[in-house]
Amino acid sequence: MKKSHRFGAIALAAAATLTLASCGFGGGSSGGDASGKTTLNLLVPSYSDNTQGLWEDVISGFEKANPDIKVELEVQSWDNLESVIATKIQGGEAPDIYNGGPFAGFAADELLYPAKDVVSSDTYSDFQDAFLANAEVDGTAYALPLIASARALFVNNALLEQAGVAAPPTTWDELLDAATKVSALGGGVAGYGMPLGSEEAQAEAAVWLWGGGGSFGDASKITVDDPANLPGAEQIKKMIDAGATQADPGSTNRSPLMDIFVQGKIGMQVGLPPTVGQIEEGNPDLDYSIVPIPTKDGSAFTLGVMDQLMAFKNDDSKKDAITKFFDYYYSADVYVPWVQTEGFLPVTKSGAEALSGEEALKPFLDVLPDAQFYPSTNPKWSATDGAFKSLFGQIQTKSAQDVLTEIQAQADAG
Amino acid sequence: MGNAPGGAARGRPGGRDLAKALPWIAPALALILGVVLFPAGVMFFNSTRDISQSGVDKGSVGFDNYVEVFSFPYFWPIFLRTIVWVVVVVVFTVLISLGIAQILNKAFPGRRIVRLVVIIPWAASVVMTTMVVYYGLEPYFGVINKFLVDVGLIDTPEGYGWTRNPTTAFVWSIVIAIFVSLPFTTYTILAGLATVPSDTIEAAKMDGASPARTYFTVVLPQLRGALSVAVLINIINVFNSLPILKVMTGSIPGYDADTIMTMIFKYIQNQHKVDVASALSVVAFLIVIVIVAVYVKVVKPTREV
Repeated sequence: MKKSHRFGAIALAAAATLTLASCGFGGGSSGGDASGKTTLNLLVPSYSDNTQGLWEDVISGFEKANPDIKVELEVQSWDNLESVIATKIQGGEAPDIYNGGPFAGFAADELLYPAKDVVSSDTYSDFQDAFLANAEVDGTAYALPLIASARALFVNNALLEQAGVAAPPTTWDELLDAATKVSALGGGVAGYGMPLGSEEAQAEAAVWLWGGGGSFGDASKITVDDPANLPGAEQIKKMIDAGATQADPGSTNRSPLMDIFVQGKIGMQVGLPPTVGQIEEGNPDLDYSIVPIPTKDGSAFTLGVMDQLMAFKNDDSKKDAITKFFDYYYSADVYVPWVQTEGFLPVTKSGAEALSGEEALKPFLDVLPDAQFYPSTNPKWSATDGAFKSLFGQIQTKSAQDVLTEIQAQADAG
Repeated sequence: MGNAPGGAARGRPGGRDLAKALPWIAPALALILGVVLFPAGVMFFNSTRDISQSGVDKGSVGFDNYVEVFSFPYFWPIFLRTIVWVVVVVVFTVLISLGIAQILNKAFPGRRIVRLVVIIPWAASVVMTTMVVYYGLEPYFGVINKFLVDVGLIDTPEGYGWTRNPTTAFVWSIVIAIFVSLPFTTYTILAGLATVPSDTIEAAKMDGASPARTYFTVVLPQLRGALSVAVLINIINVFNSLPILKVMTGSIPGYDADTIMTMIFKYIQNQHKVDVASALSVVAFLIVIVIVAVYVKVVKPTREV
């Protein structure tokens, strides 16, 4: 009896441990086509509360025009998206169309169709060349640009005025000075909102490191641990040490911090086009302006981010259906309202024309020509991105050089 | 069992008995094979493979993934933190539960309601409970921070970043873990208390033993069975607990608040290394087995009182 009890205890331990360990294996969706229809599986992240509805509208319009094709939509949160896609690929259940960020890893594993193969030549030539170039791996575009976004500095005019700052800063020195003055107002007000927490540390890092003349590397090489990145990293430390930022910047996530800006408790923070809508909704009385991001020497710069659509090579018979879907989606009548509702910038020439009169998008469209992108075509980018998310915030306590070295090491190991 | 040849055969079940029993235990066996052994096999298999970031299996690498796990410079701090996490949570949970169970074992008006209230942390989702505390601790708008600022314990007007610093975030996680472990432990001990015969306590009273002495020499030894179950299940549960730490320490950079479980999660989520995560899972599995084996060996929870 004694023996079996002991064995029972160990079996229990085993069962309990394995429950956690095995939860990485989720099921996938199956592409059943009982009625002879072609079924396309579409996996997309949620950009906003509108995303699901927008895609459903696109799909119902498309299915009406193409009764022989059925589209299955799956919407995931950004937090889960990359583990979901990895699990699906591992289980041989890759979606046919996927909307995501990094794609070079998939291209390297030869899982994707080249972009040219899955859109008509008219659609292909409508993409802005700069965006298409950003989707290339070894000269072949493997992903279709979906949306673009640029960043700019949101400034709380009232707070700056109260602190006696005459004009929004354009250089780091002015930014430090302005932010220190705003922080000195007290009452929980912070001069500069600096989100280095795991949510999007890579973005705030890029704003500073690239603004000082650095870069994360290119398609073939990741160069985070590079002397060119040091000025930016040192400036971050200077801002923190001067008390010009909110408390604990190293572990503050971007979205909750943006809410604090919307509430009017932060002097300046880097934001995105959708931030405009967020302020409209949360605190329409906020007196703010949108200016280019200050850099070391005041030269124009913005961090551009582009998300892509990609088509997985599952079954060659689906290629035509995928092409039809993309051509339908990128037609200006379907695409422009989609981009506009989500609050992003269009990636097609026809889309840019249609939206050129938009007042809220203007500050962002203006800085777009100076946009620099993540080296997302580098197969190591995904690992670099993860390393930034989990390590960059340590800059609050560790030396700038140590943090860059650690990120480089983890990126190289990825 | 009319056709059983004799009493001796009943003690040592033979092949024929097994065949007869099979239809009855087959569902349970199938469950264990499918839910426990198969995933364990896959996990071990994955831990020896090179799996690309997008999830493609690129062949065997032997034990390289294990080398990576152990050569990670933060592995040993994380290991020690895991032990601290398990020991502190389990010890405090059991001590507090002993007290609560003792109170609930006494008859008093409204006891039924109080007993139900104790179940609430158990009935509520762990993530939900943790989120409530997490938002309470947020600077600028969290109610706990607001309270501490209002009573003057914190002098920065926006509050303190409890979940932004590894130590405080870890301590708060321990508090939450104890809170959510209490109901199960309390009820297990309460069940144990119900089996303590009242005549043994009466006898102690007659002999003039003080209440403290009665508790420590009469009641507590009889709770051995209940306590050992409570401790064992808590050790396993707490060791494998991910959600509390994931929510509470998720935004903290670096590895200063991680346990083995959150590290497994970070390997999958941030680094997309399913292979290394599997290796660490196997290591975690072995650690639990060792802890449980040591516990069983030292405490001998199954020994008769």
